[in-house]
Amino acid sequence: MANTKKVMDYKYTSEKGNVENMPFLKRYPRNTAKTLWVMKPIVKVFQLLGKTTVHRPVCILYPYEKMWVPDNYRGRPGLDFNMCLGCGMCVRMCPTTAIVLVDAPDDDGNIVKRPQINMGRCAFCGYCAEYCPVDAMTVTPEFELAEYTREDLIYGPRRLAYEGTNDMMKVELEETLISDVKNGNPERRIKPFMIDRPELDSSKCISCRKCEKVCPVKAIKMVEHGTNAKGRPILWPEIDDSKCVCCHNCVDDCPKSALHIKEVL
Amino acid sequence: MARDLMDIRAETDELTTDKMWVIMGPQHPFSHGLWTLKVELDGELVTDAEPIVGYLHRGWEKECENRSYAKIVPMADRLCYAASMTYSHLYCMTVEKALGLEVPEKAQYIRVVADEICRISSHLMWLAAVGTDLGNLTVFLWCMREREYWMDLFVRLCGARMTTNYPRIGGVRNDITELFDRDVDRCVQHFEKALWDIIALIDDSSIFLSRMKGTGILTCEQCVNLGITGPAMRGNGVDFDIRRDDPYEAYDKIDFEVPVLNDGDSYSRYMVRVEELFQSCKIITRAMQKIRAIGKNAPYRYKAPTNVPAGTAMCRLEDPRGESLMYLVADGSGKPYRLKVRSPIFTNVSASKPLVVGSRIADVPVIMAMIDMCLGETDR
Amino acid sequence: MAYSSILDWISFSDIMSNPWYPFAGDYNLPFDISYKLWEIIGGGLAWLINLILPGNPVSTWLISDGVCVGGGLIIFMIVIFLVVFIGTLLSLWEERKVLGRVMDRRGTMIGMKGFLQCVADGVKTFMKENTIPKKVDMMTYMWTVSLVVGVSVLIACMIPLSDRWFVVNYDTGLLIIMAFFALAPFFILVSGWAQNNKYSLIGGMRAAELMISYEVPMLIMIGTASLLAGTLNIGDIVAAQRDIWYIIPMFIGFITFLFCATAEAERVPFDIAEAEAELVEGWQTEYAGMKWGLIMLADYFRGYVSCAMVTILFLGGWNIPFVSDSVNNFLPEIVFLLKTWFVFFLMIMIRGALARVRTDQIVNIGWKVFMPLSVINFVIVLLLKVGGIY
Repeated sequence: MANTKKVMDYKYTSEKGNVENMPFLKRYPRNTAKTLWVMKPIVKVFQLLGKTTVHRPVCILYPYEKMWVPDNYRGRPGLDFNMCLGCGMCVRMCPTTAIVLVDAPDDDGNIVKRPQINMGRCAFCGYCAEYCPVDAMTVTPEFELAEYTREDLIYGPRRLAYEGTNDMMKVELEETLISDVKNGNPERRIKPFMIDRPELDSSKCISCRKCEKVCPVKAIKMVEHGTNAKGRPILWPEIDDSKCVCCHNCVDDCPKSALHIKEVL
Repeated sequence: MARDLMDIRAETDELTTDKMWVIMGPQHPFSHGLWTLKVELDGELVTDAEPIVGYLHRGWEKECENRSYAKIVPMADRLCYAASMTYSHLYCMTVEKALGLEVPEKAQYIRVVADEICRISSHLMWLAAVGTDLGNLTVFLWCMREREYWMDLFVRLCGARMTTNYPRIGGVRNDITELFDRDVDRCVQHFEKALWDIIALIDDSSIFLSRMKGTGILTCEQCVNLGITGPAMRGNGVDFDIRRDDPYEAYDKIDFEVPVLNDGDSYSRYMVRVEELFQSCKIITRAMQKIRAIGKNAPYRYKAPTNVPAGTAMCRLEDPRGESLMYLVADGSGKPYRLKVRSPIFTNVSASKPLVVGSRIADVPVIMAMIDMCLGETDR
Repeated sequence: MAYSSILDWISFSDIMSNPWYPFAGDYNLPFDISYKLWEIIGGGLAWLINLILPGNPVSTWLISDGVCVGGGLIIFMIVIFLVVFIGTLLSLWEERKVLGRVMDRRGTMIGMKGFLQCVADGVKTFMKENTIPKKVDMMTYMWTVSLVVGVSVLIACMIPLSDRWFVVNYDTGLLIIMAFFALAPFFILVSGWAQNNKYSLIGGMRAAELMISYEVPMLIMIGTASLLAGTLNIGDIVAAQRDIWYIIPMFIGFITFLFCATAEAERVPFDIAEAEAELVEGWQTEYAGMKWGLIMLADYFRGYVSCAMVTILFLGGWNIPFVSDSVNNFLPEIVFLLKTWFVFFLMIMIRGALARVRTDQIVNIGWKVFMPLSVINFVIVLLLKVGGIY
């Protein structure tokens, strides 16, 4: 039987690196006879036994005591009902389509649209909080969501409320515009997607007023631009820049695709 | 040792007994996920093997074709449960390449830090698995204990432990928080000390060494031909690391070493991975210094357009397990036309036959542990 | 004799003067306890029957010498088993707690510092479905597991806890225990075949492979110890270690025997027959429910016996060195159990620190390490013996 095995010495031999910078390869492999074959592990184990007998082990007894989590912990989403616009940005961004907009009565009894989240589908990615234009949607450090039925996992708008929301939970989407960098002013802007604006292709517009109806912040006003051949007024939407949150609702609902978002980059 | 026994068997035919196929998996303690290794046994010697993967196929690539670009980032986290950030990072890099967008310097360093934390937590999970595969639960629990500190760092960084959803197209989700800035150095220092304890349990124990040395030997040529990448490849003497040889993000500005060993058995692969743990600690410390030097108000995220122009982009990075690659075909809309993932494990596991043939069945878990199976990315 | 009150029926007589006394001249504490228990039970019964039917022969028969010994023996079995059983459960609890601390966790927490978890586990396995695969060889499948469990319980009960707490006091007691101890691997081998499962088959083969590697050095060590003591009687071996434990002249032997005993009990690092990483559960794969629970219990019985053997051969049994006889004879059973648990603690530490060896390595270790060491140990003892120190 020919001995074709090469010598195993486990040494770093390459010229591209320096073994002196490698703390592990510098010391190992050791001759195990010098550590008395199996004695060092046993001594190590005894050391830890002594340590954990004097102090407590690192384990925490979960149901009785809980680990501290920072405020930006991404548990279930939380909602400030009155701050919410019902714009549907969270619905648009949710990767698992866990969020739907439902009708809910607000404090005055008016029916408004508010998000409802199915926690069984939620992936806890935090996109809803990140893209919420008004920071109504937040992340919360609440993660114990077990229920007995799947129906119980569906959180309505009121149930999503979370006491003690603070600034850390309001995920801020800070971005820098590349045009800003080119202008030499690399400042961070909070939620810069809100400066995107819908733009009208007026040749397609049929003056149906749908965009005006779906706008959650009433930023769209139909302005008359003369009359058409039949004598009816031609109405084009005009967007109030101070109100618009760029929620894409008008773009999505336009029957003739006359609106599109012009991104500010 | 095992190979010599095979030679004896081959020479003396009268010793040859009936062979049997043993199906290890998909629910088997060694498989660390849902996959099957069929091995043909002659007594205790493995004479043939066949890996079967695909139990965890979720249609990930097809799913991506129905989602806007931003929504794929949390999905990319789910590719690999041990090192989630590397895949979302890779995805963001690919899309950025298609957009022609260069991320801010600070984001590059933050991504490097996050990637290395992922590497450490993934390698710790691997080390834990090595412990259980060799029948020692102490290594498992000590490694998992250390891993918790890194998971906690992720919580401080982005609010989630495993599915981080942290990289974004054009940068990262949020700036490093004060808590993260405070704890990362403490964590590195603690870990560098604690790791020596775990190493003493393994490298100073002759039983661990005798189990790992000389098993699963591949030559350098075999390794290249089989397409093995990552630490398994560097343990076989192939001196290649994408971080050093084809640097992405800020890796070319950070000083680190790539461990390479020529011996090509399980122990050399083990040593490469353990050394990578130490090197990752160094990278984290150095990258954090750079991040602090850049300043607090520097930009970390550029606004990326929603639609990606038509064209293709390919990007690769050094996963904890090997070379992962994504290929994007965009058609100008807000959704990818095709997104292909090349997972290192899918290629590495196909080498399981040359790896395990000739060893004993008791060595199969050890040898396959050195591949570090992760089924989420293999089956996609 | 005229019987009037109940106390007349229950006469705590001297057991040694009973002509049917089964232990021939040696005082036996558990038999004493059970004999007196029987006297209470049998005497009470006899009194009750006599109240109903005065002057009947059954009552006097119930408290006759032979029936008292017979009834006492039945209770004696229960007492012996219960003590061993609780001792084993305590060692199981010890393993869980110590191993937990070693691994930086807490171990079991429920009830009496986690002790009741053992009981809960027993109840749980008892309630589980008794799954039997279709294609097993029913007869051997059931018989082997009963034999493995039965032999383990038998040897666990046969270990004397002191020179007054024993079941048999043969001059070859050590050999009998070792012979029964070495039986289980055969049953495991047959059980591996009977289960019709590849993992079980490999596990059974491994049990046999394991046995041929550790059994010979272990027997050499036992022979050495009995040579040093000049007897195979366990009581005499322990009595020979009254002041100097055999760990001092036979330190090499102690280390080797500790590892051999670990292998005998099939614990990490030598649990290759049930190596869960590659063989799922080895030869126990197809056993479900209470059968598996009993196998696990038998494992711990065997661990207890291994530790007891180490205690008897090397740690002076139930003796405390350099104390007066009155202190030494106060509670020798507790001393013995404490020492056994200490040896078990060492085994737990070995389990916590080491990995499982491979099949070819265990044969290598057995024949190339343990064997020479045991022979060296034997030579040292021989020199001591020839030199007249012992």
